[in-house]
Amino acid sequence: MQGRPKLFKGPLSDGRYKPLGCPVNYLPHCTGAIEVHSILLEECSKIPMNTLLNLAHSLPRRVEAVVAAKGGPMLYLTQWIKNGMSLKFICESRQEGPVVLDVPLGVISRVEKMGGASSRGENSYGLDITCKDMRNLRFALKQEGHSRRGIFDMLFRYAFPLSHGLALFAYLNQEKFAENGWNVYKAMEEFRRQGLPNNKWRMTFINNRYELCDTYPNLLAVPFKCTEDDLRKVAAFRSRGRIPVLSWIHRENQAVIVRCSQPLVGMSGKRNKDDERYLDLIREANDTTKKLTIYDARPNVNAVANKATGGGYEGDEYVNAELVFLDIQNIHVMRESLKKLKDIVYPNVEESHWLSSLESTHWLEHIKLVLSGAIQVADKVSSGNSVLVHCSDGWDRTAQLTSLAMLMLDSHYRTLRGFQVLIEKEWISFGHKFASRIGHGDKNHADQDRSPIFVQFIDCVWQMTKQFPTAFEFNEHLLLSILDHLYSCRFGTFLYNCENARDQHDLRTKTTSLWSLVNSKMDLYLNPFYTPESGQVLYPVASMRHLELWVNYYIRWNPRIRHQQQSPVEQRYKELLALREEYLKKLEQLQLSDSSSSYQLTNSTTPNTTSSTASTPSQQYTHLQTPL
Amino acid sequence: MEFSDHIKTANVEDVVLRQPLHPPSRGTLCITGHHLLFSEREEGSSQQVLLLLRNIDAIEKRMSGSSGTITIKCKDLRVLQLDIPGMEQCLNISRSIETLSCLDNVSEMYPFFYRPTDLSLQDQWGLSTPEKHYTQMKELHERWRLSSVNKSYSVCPSYPPAVIVPNCIDDETLKKVAKFRQGGRFPVLCYYHRKNGMVIMRSSQPLTGANRKRCKEDELLLQAVIEDSDKGFIIDTRSSQQVHQARMTGGGFESKSFYNCWKRLHRQMERGKALQESLIKLVEACSDESHNVDRWLSKLENSKWLSHVQTALSTAGLLAECVERDGHSALVHGYEGTDCSLLICTLAQLIMDPFCRTLEGFLALLEREWVQAGHPFQQRCAHSAYSHARFQQESPVFLLLLDCVWQLWRQFPLALGFSEALLLRLANEVYASDYGTFLCNNDQERCALGVKDRTHCLFRALLRPAERDYYSNPLYEPTELAIWPSVHPQSLQLWRGFFLRWTQLTHHLEAVQEEIRSMVIEWGRVAQR
Repeated sequence: MQGRPKLFKGPLSDGRYKPLGCPVNYLPHCTGAIEVHSILLEECSKIPMNTLLNLAHSLPRRVEAVVAAKGGPMLYLTQWIKNGMSLKFICESRQEGPVVLDVPLGVISRVEKMGGASSRGENSYGLDITCKDMRNLRFALKQEGHSRRGIFDMLFRYAFPLSHGLALFAYLNQEKFAENGWNVYKAMEEFRRQGLPNNKWRMTFINNRYELCDTYPNLLAVPFKCTEDDLRKVAAFRSRGRIPVLSWIHRENQAVIVRCSQPLVGMSGKRNKDDERYLDLIREANDTTKKLTIYDARPNVNAVANKATGGGYEGDEYVNAELVFLDIQNIHVMRESLKKLKDIVYPNVEESHWLSSLESTHWLEHIKLVLSGAIQVADKVSSGNSVLVHCSDGWDRTAQLTSLAMLMLDSHYRTLRGFQVLIEKEWISFGHKFASRIGHGDKNHADQDRSPIFVQFIDCVWQMTKQFPTAFEFNEHLLLSILDHLYSCRFGTFLYNCENARDQHDLRTKTTSLWSLVNSKMDLYLNPFYTPESGQVLYPVASMRHLELWVNYYIRWNPRIRHQQQSPVEQRYKELLALREEYLKKLEQLQLSDSSSSYQLTNSTTPNTTSSTASTPSQQYTHLQTPL
Repeated sequence: MEFSDHIKTANVEDVVLRQPLHPPSRGTLCITGHHLLFSEREEGSSQQVLLLLRNIDAIEKRMSGSSGTITIKCKDLRVLQLDIPGMEQCLNISRSIETLSCLDNVSEMYPFFYRPTDLSLQDQWGLSTPEKHYTQMKELHERWRLSSVNKSYSVCPSYPPAVIVPNCIDDETLKKVAKFRQGGRFPVLCYYHRKNGMVIMRSSQPLTGANRKRCKEDELLLQAVIEDSDKGFIIDTRSSQQVHQARMTGGGFESKSFYNCWKRLHRQMERGKALQESLIKLVEACSDESHNVDRWLSKLENSKWLSHVQTALSTAGLLAECVERDGHSALVHGYEGTDCSLLICTLAQLIMDPFCRTLEGFLALLEREWVQAGHPFQQRCAHSAYSHARFQQESPVFLLLLDCVWQLWRQFPLALGFSEALLLRLANEVYASDYGTFLCNNDQERCALGVKDRTHCLFRALLRPAERDYYSNPLYEPTELAIWPSVHPQSLQLWRGFFLRWTQLTHHLEAVQEEIRSMVIEWGRVAQR
């Protein structure tokens, strides 16, 4: 250690200016951790044992123990508070002062005891907590007096309420908000916004009691010419009755995005005339569609393999259709990919071969394939061709593709409220199995149904916001909040697998919506540079060269990359929002007072929803790319 | 020799130009002594492309039948293609470009001919001088003096005529120290930290050689730097193994026994050929658009460019820590003290000194630490990533600096007063410019050629009102605090704005940045009415 300057004298950060991460040390081999470690052990021995025991039985209460974020700098736990269904671990590190670890119980995926009564070595006895949001927490405790038993039981019980016959926290939460977020999405209103029903498309209540398809919403849009009987026959030929229904219609060219599940072709290559005719009705509903393009999200081989279990894909018998495979992998591949990513970012970031390790997780490659699939869908539709999108069941990859394509095609979904509608519609109402994919309140952490499909979608949205910094009304904070509450169970929004189950559990009357929180404090989630442009298709560039790892999400918990609660950038953005408000107000006044003398704006950067007719610079670039 | 001797064919009609971001166009190609000019000849269009021949890094020609295609690879990483009818014309054009794009004679270069109407040669050249800089730094005067020992460039050919040294060290001593330092680059002050009075010095390596020569005057000078403080740090940009090897060739390091108050810290920084090769690999990876199994991230990693960025930023962070957190003075050097030393001294100043983060401050910093301090621009920037020429002294140290500054800008979007556009502009100008600022290798050469009298100064031009507006950061919010960059690999990004500049997305993002800038200015303008 000789020859090195003494570092870390004062507080680590210089006030507000701590960006993405702050340097723990510019020396490659940090000496700090070891020193702190020995101090911690010393102080730990002074903690009276019964404090730990008391804790488990009467929370909230002060407790002291040692917490070590594996691999990171040692943290010294001074207090933990159980606040509702969230745990706050208040820790101190020698270098950084107090650190609060706020861990919603819903985020916990797995709690394990580490070491036994006879374990030797520093920090070998304690608890290991694996979280769904890329965190691992390790608490080292004293061995004497079975100190961890109480904590373990408590954690296990409240982190997995459903496995213990308890209610999810959303049902206990008493928070009140100014707005009721459950009103954000009304299926009929959204169809009307799209100009439906019209003479080609009608609404059907055939699924009013979820009898046709128990995982679909109760209001569906279908070709005007088909009968209810047709729909029943088609349902018999589509996996889980998920028949092709309209998701989105292009206002000008009337081309549509239709979603469904795979056809039940099976090994014998069954045909279904009704399904064939139904697809042709969809094609006919748009004058310019010569051939209906069917995007099968799966790789070709997987689609073939699905025949063995009764599924399959549309063959040549669908004469007026063309089939395109998009090569997107299934939920298991995605889960393993994210798991690999977690391994290289937490608790130790793989430093020496960071980029090639990142490459070996294939996470960005999957992002690329999902995005480029959505680009193809959007491009087809904007050039006046109706498309049908499915995968196997039509609730994972299909939801990713339709919602991303809709985000590219329809600027309404790029507003704060429109984005909420998009999620409510394409994900929640169409039965993305949130409960199974996330495993809310369920202790079975190794469940093969779990998969980060929705996280991947939000990542794709984030990639788009990076490529189009002025096209989205919402900011990164919204995306982060959505993902936090995907797990937290504080709101009812992401609970259960489908509308049917939500109705049965009175979700909308007994829990609060995430959008209540968001829409009551909108300015936290707004992008100051938002410049609305209606009618523009946003084609992101889905090339590895332009995709980035979302460091602010995936690596935010790493002790070394941790950033401040409120960064100066957020503060500045708030000021800019206020400035923009002021600007708009002044502008209105000026326009009122000078309505005769024609006050003119010097440029076309009006962030005003009513004046988006001006040709802004970015409009020239929205047709960025000839997609593939 | 006249330029016209190199131009056999000056004009060719009916040439097709293919360039990134534009559809192919047909028109007239014209070669002059310094430029390639293409004028589109479509109805109602008057698009022109004017390219400094100096910007051309490599040219490839392919003949087919009676016509030929010339591919031009520029130092700003743009790749153009010209389809030229007539084999002879094509050969003539390519020969002209080959010769004129790498003229060695500095006084024949374009800056000596560039005469814009809104600039006058009578204007002051440069933003400041060492004398002015010293005069303004009042707090220095007690312990530091301005020495003109080098006024005829005889003590150190690559230093400016005036340098700042400790008060108690006289010029005779300096002359002796200069003999003990490679290229005469004796330790001089480059930064004074107002908060605690500590300084950063820079120099070249001491010439101790195999028999461990010492120089009393050198030891005296360094002792005078730390005065009564207990110690100082020497940041050597070489590994400890490298410094021992350096002794075999006459170089060396400050040994503990003779400089007992100084602690040496070694940080191996790549330079020269290694850096140049890294750039070539990176640019190759960026332009290789093979779609199937891409392995882009592995290629990016293999180029090692980002690890050079990381080393530079973390060494600068270490230097700033020594001065700002630890409260000690520091001396920085490697071998010659004209590359990596300048790089990390510049970055450390950006980290610590709020004034350096303003637009004026940054340009002044570049002028002091690179132009006046004798970074051999002409040698380092003769060629860039595409050239097939055998490399001599080329090395993209300055480009690495700009990349590091961009990383700072990305991590601290509010802290720098200038925008990415400025960094991009500088990255272009350093390789091919209308201005004389980056000509020659040091002040002595610039004086000999009359650069300051016969060319215009880029930094002055960038501070004209319109340019100043364009290059300022709309989100800028000055802070007195140090900005400590994160140097973890996942905090560092490829500078897409530069390396993928000629892609549509980057082009679009540049436009969006510009849009945001005018938006914020407009809000301020109207809201304050």
